[in-house]
Amino acid sequence: MVDWLHLGLLLIPTLPLIAGLWIGLGMIFKWNRGEKGERETAYIAVGSASLVLLSLLVLVIYSGMQGSLGTVVISRWLESGNVQASVNLLFDPLSLTLASVFSLIILLTLRFSVNYLHREASFQRFFLIMCLFHAAMLLIVLGGNLMVTFVGWELAGISSYLLISYSWQREYASTSATRAFVTNRVGDAGFLLAIFMALIYWGNSDWEALLVQSQAESSLVTNSIVLGLILAACVKSAQFPFSAWISHALEGPTPSSGVFYGSVMVHAGVYLLLRLSPMLEQMPIISWLLAAVGLATVIYAWFLAQMQTDIKSSLIFSTLMQIGIMVIEIAAGWTSLALVHLILHAIWRIYQFLLSPSFLQQTSSPAPAAPAWFQQSVWLHNACLQRFWLDRLADTFLVRPTRLLAHEAQLFDQQVVDRLTGTPSHVNMLSTLAQMQALQTGSLQLNSQVGIGSGMFGKLLQRLAEMMEWFEERLVLKSSSDGLAGLATVLGQRAELIEAYLRQPRYMLVLIAATLVVVL
Amino acid sequence: MIDFLILLLFLPVVGALLILFLPEHRQPWIRPIALATAASTLAYTVFLATQMDFTNPAVQLVAEYQWNERLGTYFSFGVDGLSYPLVALTNLLTLVAIAVSTQIKERIKAYYMLLLLLEAATMGVFITQGWALFYVFWELVLIPLFFLIDRWGGINRQRAALNFVLYTMGGSVFMLLGLLMLFDANPEHRFLFASIKRASAVIPAETQTLIFLGLMIGLGVKMPLFPLHGWLPLAHVEAPSPVSILLSGILLKMGAYGMIRSAEMLPAAAINLQDFMMALGMIGMLYGGLLAWRQSDLKKMIAYSSVSHMGVVMIGIAALNTNGLMGAAYQMVAHGLVAGALFMLIGLLYERTHTRDINDYGSLLRATPRFAVLVVLALVGGVGLPGTAGFIGELHALIGGFERWGWLVAALSLGMLITATYSLRTVKQLYTGPVNLGMRQVEDLHPLELAAGGVLVGGTLLLGLYPLPLLHLLHSSVQAIAAPFGG
Repeated sequence: MVDWLHLGLLLIPTLPLIAGLWIGLGMIFKWNRGEKGERETAYIAVGSASLVLLSLLVLVIYSGMQGSLGTVVISRWLESGNVQASVNLLFDPLSLTLASVFSLIILLTLRFSVNYLHREASFQRFFLIMCLFHAAMLLIVLGGNLMVTFVGWELAGISSYLLISYSWQREYASTSATRAFVTNRVGDAGFLLAIFMALIYWGNSDWEALLVQSQAESSLVTNSIVLGLILAACVKSAQFPFSAWISHALEGPTPSSGVFYGSVMVHAGVYLLLRLSPMLEQMPIISWLLAAVGLATVIYAWFLAQMQTDIKSSLIFSTLMQIGIMVIEIAAGWTSLALVHLILHAIWRIYQFLLSPSFLQQTSSPAPAAPAWFQQSVWLHNACLQRFWLDRLADTFLVRPTRLLAHEAQLFDQQVVDRLTGTPSHVNMLSTLAQMQALQTGSLQLNSQVGIGSGMFGKLLQRLAEMMEWFEERLVLKSSSDGLAGLATVLGQRAELIEAYLRQPRYMLVLIAATLVVVL
Repeated sequence: MIDFLILLLFLPVVGALLILFLPEHRQPWIRPIALATAASTLAYTVFLATQMDFTNPAVQLVAEYQWNERLGTYFSFGVDGLSYPLVALTNLLTLVAIAVSTQIKERIKAYYMLLLLLEAATMGVFITQGWALFYVFWELVLIPLFFLIDRWGGINRQRAALNFVLYTMGGSVFMLLGLLMLFDANPEHRFLFASIKRASAVIPAETQTLIFLGLMIGLGVKMPLFPLHGWLPLAHVEAPSPVSILLSGILLKMGAYGMIRSAEMLPAAAINLQDFMMALGMIGMLYGGLLAWRQSDLKKMIAYSSVSHMGVVMIGIAALNTNGLMGAAYQMVAHGLVAGALFMLIGLLYERTHTRDINDYGSLLRATPRFAVLVVLALVGGVGLPGTAGFIGELHALIGGFERWGWLVAALSLGMLITATYSLRTVKQLYTGPVNLGMRQVEDLHPLELAAGGVLVGGTLLLGLYPLPLLHLLHSSVQAIAAPFGG
C-alpha cells in the first residue's frame, strides 16, 4: 500500500519525463511528425503538465489539512561505506508552493505554444524539450537531497542548451547555447563540491540532515558546502559576474525564453538560496557577500536596461534586476518576502514575455531614449554598450588560456605521445575524391600496411616480427619443404645407388663373403 | 549392456560405407547422406550426455575388449568430462565442414567418405582409454587427411600433404619409442591408461621424463609446439577450407588432449618439465602472434594465430593446477569454434573473390553485411574479448599460470595484445577504407552458410556469456587430473 503511494509520488516529477520520452519515440519512429502529429504531441505535453499540476494541488490541500509530508524516501539507491544515497522527494510548503507555481506557468506556456508554434518545422522537438524541462524543474524543487536536485539541475541545463540552439542553423544560436552551457558548468562545479563534501563528511546529502548538521557544527565543511551551492545558485540565476550568458540565451522561441530566463529556470538559484537560508543566518560574512553580489547585479542590470532597444533584452535585464533584489532580500533574512516576490515576479514576467511578440501592435509610441545625463557620459555609455566587457573578460582570462593550453597539449600529443605509441595508419583511408578516382584508374597504388608498425613500440614490434619471420623462413619452412622432403629424396637416391650396386652379382658375392667372414 | 561408444565410433563409418556402395547414378545422394550421418552422429553425442554423470570424475560408458593378451592391448573406450566436449566439438565441426563443402564438385564420393572416416578416427583418439589404440587412431587420422589435402587442396597441395605426413610420422616415431619404453617400464606390461596411472608411482622420475619427452615430440607436432610447427602454415593454407576447419578446429586439439593425458599418466615427468613446457607455450604464443601479424595472406594469418592460441593452451597445461587445466580445456573448445568459424568464413570469401591477400580487400561491409558481422565476431572471439568463450579460457589459464609463476604470466596479456593488433587490422582492411570496385558484387552468405557460421559464432558467444554449464562439465575431471599436483 505504502509502495503504491511512493510510486504515485515519484510519478509527479517523472510524468513529464515519460511524456517527453513518448514524443521522442514518436519522432524516431515517425508517427507524430509534421502537422498531423501536432495534435497528439500537444495533447500529451499539455496533458502531462495538467496531471502534474492537479496532483500537486491535491497534495497542497492534503498537506494543508494533514500537515506536511516531509521527506519521502522512494527507494534506496546506493550504499558504500558510510555513504548513503537514496532517491528522496521533499514535500514541504516551500517546495510544494514553488512546484505548483512553476507547473502552472509551464502548463499555460505549453498551451500558448500550441498555437504559437503551429506549423513550425520543429514543433515536436520543442514540446519534447519543454517536457524534459518541466521534469527538471520538478526534480530541482521536489528533490529531497542534493543529488536528486542535481539531476534536475543538469537536466535543466541540458534543456536550456537544447532550446537556445533551437534554430541550430544560425551560428549565433549554437555559440550562445554553448556559452550558456559552459558558464553553467562553473556553477555545477560548486554544486558537485557541495555534494562531495556533504557525502564525505556527513555521509548523507538530505536537505533536512544538512540543516541539522550545519546547526551542530559550523566549520570549514559547512562553509564550503554553502559556498558551493551559492556559486551554483548565482550562475543559474545569472548573478554578477556570471550575468553575461543570459543575455545571449534568448535565441529560442519566445515562450521558451520566457519560461527559462524570464520566470522559471532563472528562479532555480533563488530557490536554492531559500533552502539554504536557515544556514545563511549562521554565516554573516557569507550573507554580506551574497548581498554584495545581489547589489552588483542590480546595478549592472539597471544600467544595461537603459540601453536596450529590443523588447526581449529589456525584459531580461529587468528580470535580472528583480532577481538581484531577491538575493539581497534573502541575504538580509527576509525569506518570506523573497518567496512572495519570486512568485509574483514569475507570474508577471511570463505574462510580459508571452505578450512581447505582439508588443509592437499594442504600443503606439517608440521606446523612450536613455536619460540625458546617461547620454552625456561617454564612458558609461560605452561600458553599457559593451555590457561591462563581461564576455570580453571571460574570453581573455578563461577561454584564451584554455585554448592555449589545449594547443600545447595537442602539440605534446603529436610530437611526443604519437611518436611513442604510433598512430593508426590512414593509408587505406582516402581523403579526397581525386585520390579515389586515381585509385580506381590504377594510377594510385596503396602500400600494404600489413606487418608495418608505427611509433616506437610499433617499430619495436615490427623489428621483432621481422626477425622471427626470418627465422621461420630459413629454419622452419625451408628445412621442412626442401629439408625433410629433400632429405628423403637424397636418401632415396643414395639407396637407389646402393640397390644398383647390389644388383650386380660381384658386389653381392663380396657382401656374402664379408658376412661369412664376420659370422665365422 | 550396450556399448554406446563403439556405436558412436561406427556411425560415421556406416555413413562412409553407405556412400561407398552407392551406385554411380545416385551421385546427388552423396551429400545428403553425409550431412545426415554427421547430424545423427552429433545428435547421438548429445544423447550420450544424458547417459553420463559429469559430477563423477571417473571414466564412463566404458567398453573394454581384450585385443592381444601377450602385448597387453585392449579395445578400451570411455569418456570423461575432459574428452566429452572434444568429441562433441569434433562432431559439430565435421557437420559444419560437410555443410560448407558445396564448392567441392569433383570426386565427391571419395571426399565425403574421407571426411566421415576422419571424423571416426578423430573421435577414436578422444575416447580411447589405452595408448596402443590411441596410437592406432592417431596414425589413422593421417590417412584421410593426407588424401584430403593432396587431392582437393590448392596449388602446392602435394608438397603440403607430404610435409604434413612426414612431420607427423617423424614425431610419431618418437612417440612410439616413448610408448615402448612405457610398456617396458610398466610392471603390468599394459598400455591401458588406468594401468599406467597405477604404475606411475613405481616408474623412476628419470625414465618418466624420457618417456614424456618422446611423447611430447610426437604430440607437439600436432599441437603444434614452437619449433615443430613447420607443417602447419602450408597445410592450413593449401587444404580446402572445410578441411582447414577440421585441421585447426580439432586436429590441433588432439595434441593438447594427448599432452594432458600424458601429464596425468606421468606426474613426476610433468613436474620436472613444467617450466620447459611453460617456456614453449610462451614462445609459441608470442611467436605465432607476431608471425600472424606479418602475414598478408588471410589463411596463413589464421594458421599462425592457431599457433599462438595453442601456446595459451600449453601455458594452461603447464600450470598443472585446476584453473590452468580448466583454462586449457576451455580454450581448446573456444579455439575450435573460433578457428573453425574463421577458416570457414575466409574460405567462403575466397571462393567468391579468389584472393586471400588482405590488401586486395576494402569496404566489404556494404556488399556483405552478414559476412561482416560473423567475421568481426569471430575475430573478436579470437582476441578473447569478455563475452566470448576465449575470454573464459584465457582468464582461467591466466589465473592458473599466476598461481604457479606469479607475475611472469603477464606476458600472456602481451600475447593477447598482439592478437588484438592483427585481428583489428584485419577488420579494418576487410571492411573499411575505399570501396574496391571489383568487390562490390560479392555475394553475401547463403542461408545454409549463415546457419553454419551462426552456430559456431553463436556457440562462442554462448560459452562466453554463460560459461557455467561447460565449466561444470569439465570441472570434476580437471580437478581429478590436477589433484596429484596439489590442485
